[in-house]
Amino acid sequence: MKIVLDRPRCEGHGLCEEAAPHLMHLDDAGELVLDREEIGAEDVAAAKAAARVCPVAALRVE
Amino acid sequence: MSAIAVPTVDVDLFADEVVLDPYPVYAELREIGSVVRLPANDVYALTRYDAIRGALADWESFSSTSIGFNPAVNEALAGTSLASDPPDHTRLRATLTENLTPRALRGLKDQIDAKADALVAALVEQGSFEAIDALARAFPLQVVADLIGFTGHVRDNMLRWGQAAMEVIGPMNQRTAASFPIAGELYAWCSQVTAEDLAPGSVGRGIFDAEARGAIPPGTAGHIIHQYLGAGVDTTVAAIGNAIALLARHPDQLALVREDPELVPAAFNEVLRYWAPVHAWGRRATRDVEVDGVVVPAGAQMAILFGAGNRDPRHYDDPDAFLVERNPVDHLSFGYGPHGCAGQGLARLEGHAVIAALARRVERLVVGPEARVPSNITRSIDELPVLEVVPA
Repeated sequence: MKIVLDRPRCEGHGLCEEAAPHLMHLDDAGELVLDREEIGAEDVAAAKAAARVCPVAALRVE
Repeated sequence: MSAIAVPTVDVDLFADEVVLDPYPVYAELREIGSVVRLPANDVYALTRYDAIRGALADWESFSSTSIGFNPAVNEALAGTSLASDPPDHTRLRATLTENLTPRALRGLKDQIDAKADALVAALVEQGSFEAIDALARAFPLQVVADLIGFTGHVRDNMLRWGQAAMEVIGPMNQRTAASFPIAGELYAWCSQVTAEDLAPGSVGRGIFDAEARGAIPPGTAGHIIHQYLGAGVDTTVAAIGNAIALLARHPDQLALVREDPELVPAAFNEVLRYWAPVHAWGRRATRDVEVDGVVVPAGAQMAILFGAGNRDPRHYDDPDAFLVERNPVDHLSFGYGPHGCAGQGLARLEGHAVIAALARRVERLVVGPEARVPSNITRSIDELPVLEVVPA
């Protein structure tokens, strides 16, 4: 599966990073970086949790 | 589409007794259905967590052109990011949030924490105080005034202007009618404010600089200031007042935050979940939409009840308990999706700063009964006497 970021919509709230710190992080400029886009079964739950807590619905897992 | 008839309930969402304590009504409506029609307000109300979150995400079916409950306010808000849909919304939102996103605000955290700590330290020293004026109002007013660079009489007007800007979103009742002239003062001031009226180096001044260099369209700087003030004061005052009252009433929960300051963000999420600062918010159905088997007809005015969704037992276990360890990071009080609260980053900085300062300096707050005044949209405490502080 794949994590998809709607970059213009992302405002850098950072809640996703708290939910899935091994999959994504805010860089020094506060921009979200996906450390992995293609994910295996073991990371699906964390990726979905990250998408779920995004307050502006900028992330999805498909 | 095989749909069931929408349940109709004889409740006035904006009656004094309902806005003072909406939770019994929320529970009643939520048990009747995800969608209920309320003829008294001519609205279809959304009551359950999944239905609310789904509607907030689905901007194509639920337009923001009718976020208010009277035509005059929707007309006044036309053309703002609050009241528009994509694609216009996307551009307006980007302009509005450029100075409000967490990345823009990162440099402010230390200052905001220091302001909250100084304020709480002085109040602890004082020993008894009225918590709403002295802290819940004083702190956001100071933070927002300094951020936007307000000085002089505008600073004095911020509270009444901010209250009125929320009140007029309600239906055209006596409260709305009385607030329109005051909301008009805010609008008039924002229409003629210039860069020179705002302190050098402030975010407000920066918005005018952006307008001057063509980064945002001509004439929009005043509108952005208007939205900061209209949306960012009354709601934050409510959230901080609620945090003080809830931590005072639940000393065991304050003790948990004192033992583990990492719980500060979780505690603020729980405060927002437990008592939503915004009672009802509008949308308009753009087509016949099915929600949990009920068809909402095209053109229907929706009333989104954030506080009802936040207490939905289908989503939160034991929803009527105030538990700081719950960390309900997906609460609905900031809305959700494209229109999710644009100022939530700043609200979090403020809420976290106050809760952290209280947890550091206070073992217990002994409070008297809280007083509330009915209002259409913002549900907040008007007076909360702190009779005694047991210092940490």
